[in-house]
Amino acid sequence: MAEESRESRSQARLAAAAERKALAEAAAKKARRSRMLVSLAVIAPILLVVIVGVSISLVKSKVDSNVTAPKIASKADGYGLVFNTSAKPQIDVWEDFQCPACKNFEDANGATIHALATSGKARVVFHSLSFLGAESVILANAGACAADEGMFLQFHDYLYKNQKPENSAYWGLSKVTAAGVAAGLPKQSFTECVKSGKFAKWVENIAADGAKANINQTPTVLINGKEIDRNSGAYIDPSLFNKALADAGVK
Amino acid sequence: MAKSAQRYTSVVVNFRARTFSGTDVVALLARLILGGALLLAGGLKALHPYQAAAAVRAYEILPVSLANPLGYSLPWVEIGVGIILVLGLFIRIGALLGAAMMVIFMIGVGSAWARGLSIDCGCFGGGGAVDPSKTAYASEIARDALFFTCGAYLLWRPGTRWSMDAMGSGRITTDLYEDELDVEEMEG
Repeated sequence: MAEESRESRSQARLAAAAERKALAEAAAKKARRSRMLVSLAVIAPILLVVIVGVSISLVKSKVDSNVTAPKIASKADGYGLVFNTSAKPQIDVWEDFQCPACKNFEDANGATIHALATSGKARVVFHSLSFLGAESVILANAGACAADEGMFLQFHDYLYKNQKPENSAYWGLSKVTAAGVAAGLPKQSFTECVKSGKFAKWVENIAADGAKANINQTPTVLINGKEIDRNSGAYIDPSLFNKALADAGVK
Repeated sequence: MAKSAQRYTSVVVNFRARTFSGTDVVALLARLILGGALLLAGGLKALHPYQAAAAVRAYEILPVSLANPLGYSLPWVEIGVGIILVLGLFIRIGALLGAAMMVIFMIGVGSAWARGLSIDCGCFGGGGAVDPSKTAYASEIARDALFFTCGAYLLWRPGTRWSMDAMGSGRITTDLYEDELDVEEMEG
C-alpha cells in the first residue's frame, strides 16, 4: 500500500515536471512571437518615415515648370533673373544673400556686376540659392518680389551691405519689409509679396536647378558658362575679376 | 481522511533580467554613439536637402545625376538606421548598415584627400568646397573610424540588454503557484 503510494507520487512529480516544461516552452514561444510582432510594429513606421522622407526630398528636388516666377526670370536660364537678355558675354552669379563669401565677392566686384547689368554690356543672370537655411529662402523670395517691382539690384545691394550672421533669426517679415522700404520699394505690395511667399516655389526651382548645374557653393560666378577658378583670387580681387571680364570680351 | 496532492493551476512567466555585464554597457554605449551620430547627422542634413546634395557633389566621385538623389536620400536613411540603433531594434542589421556607411564615408573622405580636393565632408550638414586651410580630413576619418568601431563591435556583440531586441528574450523562469487540492483517498 505504502509502496504503491510512493510510486504514484513519483509519477505525479514526473508528470508535473513535464507539464511545467511544456508550459514554459509554450510561454516562451508566445513571448517570442509577440516580440517579433512588436518589433515589426515599431520598424514599420520607421521605414515609413525613411521612405516618405526620401520620396518627398526627391520629388521636391524636381524643377517645377508650373511655378509663379518673377517677370525677368528665364526658364531657359534655370529660372535665373536675367538682365540684358540679348547682350554678350553672359555672366551667371549663383549666390545666397546670407553667405559671407558672397558678401566678400559683392564688396570686391558687386559694383562692377551692377554696372554691367544696368549698362547692358553683358547678359547678367542672378541665381538666388537658398541652402543655408530658412532665412535664405525668405530673402530669395523677397529678392524676386523686388525684381517684379523693377528694383532687384537696389534690394540686392542693400541686403549685402546689411548682411547679418547666417541664420541668426534676424530676417523675419518686419525686418525684410523694412529692408525693402529702405532700398526704395513700395511698402504695401512688397510686404504682401514677402508675407505670402509669392515666389517660394520659384526659389525651390533655383535650388533644384543649381543642383543639376553642379553648383556646390556660393558664390559661384561663371563667365560664358565657365566657372571662374576659385583659387585664382578673382572672387575677391577686382583687378583679377576685371581681367577675366576683359578676356571674355567685356569692354 | 483527505490526502493532499499538488496540482499546478497557474504559470507566470518572468523575463528575469540577467545581471548586466561590461559587454552590455559597451554595447549600449556603442549603440548610442553610432545611432546618436547617425540621427544627428541625418537630422541636420534632412533640413537642408539642397546643401546635402551639394556636399555629395563636391566629392566629385559620382556623376551629378546620381550624386543629387544620394544627397537627398542619405539623410533619411541615416535617420532610420540611427533610430533602430538607439532603440536597439534588429541591432545587428542596424550595426551592419551603420558600419557599412562609415566605410563608404571613410573611402569618400580619403579619396577627396588623396585627390587634393578642398572640401568639408558635409557629415553633419554643411559641406562643399572650403579653403584648403580648413580641410579636416584626418579628424573626419578618425571620427568615422570611431563610429565604424561601434558598428563592428555591435556586429560581434550586439548585447541586447537595454534594447528592444531584449523584449521577451530574458531568461525565462516559471513560478508555479501550487494549490493544495483535496483529493479523496481511495482506500481499500
